[in-house]
Amino acid sequence: MNFYDFHVHSEFSEGESTIEEIANRAKLLGYKGICFTTYLDDKNKIKKTKEIVSKLSKQIGIDIFIGFEARNTSELDKLIKLRREYDVLLVKGSDLLLNRKAVETKEVDILTHPEYNRRDSGFNHVMAQLATENNVAIEINFREILNSSKNTRANIMHKIKTNVEICKKYKAPIVISSGSVTHWQLKDPKILISMGCLLGLELKEAKKTISEIPENIIKMIKERQDEKWIRPGVKVV
Amino acid sequence: MEQKKLKTLKPTLREKERYVAFQVISEEGEEFNYSDLEAAIWNTMLDFLGEEGVSKTSVWLMKDCWDPKTQKGILRCNNKSVQEVIASLGLIDRLGDNRITFKILRISGTIKSIREKL
Repeated sequence: MNFYDFHVHSEFSEGESTIEEIANRAKLLGYKGICFTTYLDDKNKIKKTKEIVSKLSKQIGIDIFIGFEARNTSELDKLIKLRREYDVLLVKGSDLLLNRKAVETKEVDILTHPEYNRRDSGFNHVMAQLATENNVAIEINFREILNSSKNTRANIMHKIKTNVEICKKYKAPIVISSGSVTHWQLKDPKILISMGCLLGLELKEAKKTISEIPENIIKMIKERQDEKWIRPGVKVV
Repeated sequence: MEQKKLKTLKPTLREKERYVAFQVISEEGEEFNYSDLEAAIWNTMLDFLGEEGVSKTSVWLMKDCWDPKTQKGILRCNNKSVQEVIASLGLIDRLGDNRITFKILRISGTIKSIREKL
């Protein structure tokens, strides 16, 4: 089974470790591919990151993808226009309107931690239905659990469990990722699967979240990079 | 005075065990001993699962299986709490002042097979 981690920050965004350190650690832990996530501060970033990543990918023998995380609606609009230039589009969850817009947009691949910094879980049944329709995966972020403790951790886990239950009911795709900012926070795939099980997923479903669902996203990436692709659902025949 | 040993339970009454082989990945040159690791695992598990939760896992870090050179070891738990134990290992990110991470090598039902393939 191939495992993927689709939310990793390197020194190019808020992370501390270099792309090389992270890629090497991911290879050691048994990942088939990872996605470096960054923010849209300047467009030159895409070119720079692409150059480094393509070299490393061959050198280390691991699939490396480039993802952009939209922090607000204006960033999301800009990223949708540039959709062909990078691989994965993530939306930083938290704001209710942004969460809603993310699940309504077909171009979006992953809505990251919808419950982040909120008193409620930031996700409901209406959003779950939209996420299923538009094939937007909802992320379980391991770093959120790792970096918290005691009552904060309990609250976060409760909110995630609520979201998992809603996603299961409406068959919305779920992705588990480390959300790491250093290579030390990258976790073994089996650890992510186990955490998924504790958060209310069956073992099979938990395995899917880091293998089959990311593979579906990769399929979409390949389709998108095809010359015939125009926008989701529109293709030159 | 030597304590009398209990008569062995019938196989159907015995707890089904699982052995989790793992490797501690740490910064270069760092070696940890059994007691450091044991304390870290117990503290994290008690924090995360609570006393009652840990009591259900029957977790035990096997002393004779810990190799400080390769940093590989084996944890024993029951078959119903493998996910809890592995998830707890993921929450250990420091051992003293050193940053660490766990690589899960293998999960097995017998100590013999896990030792052979380690």
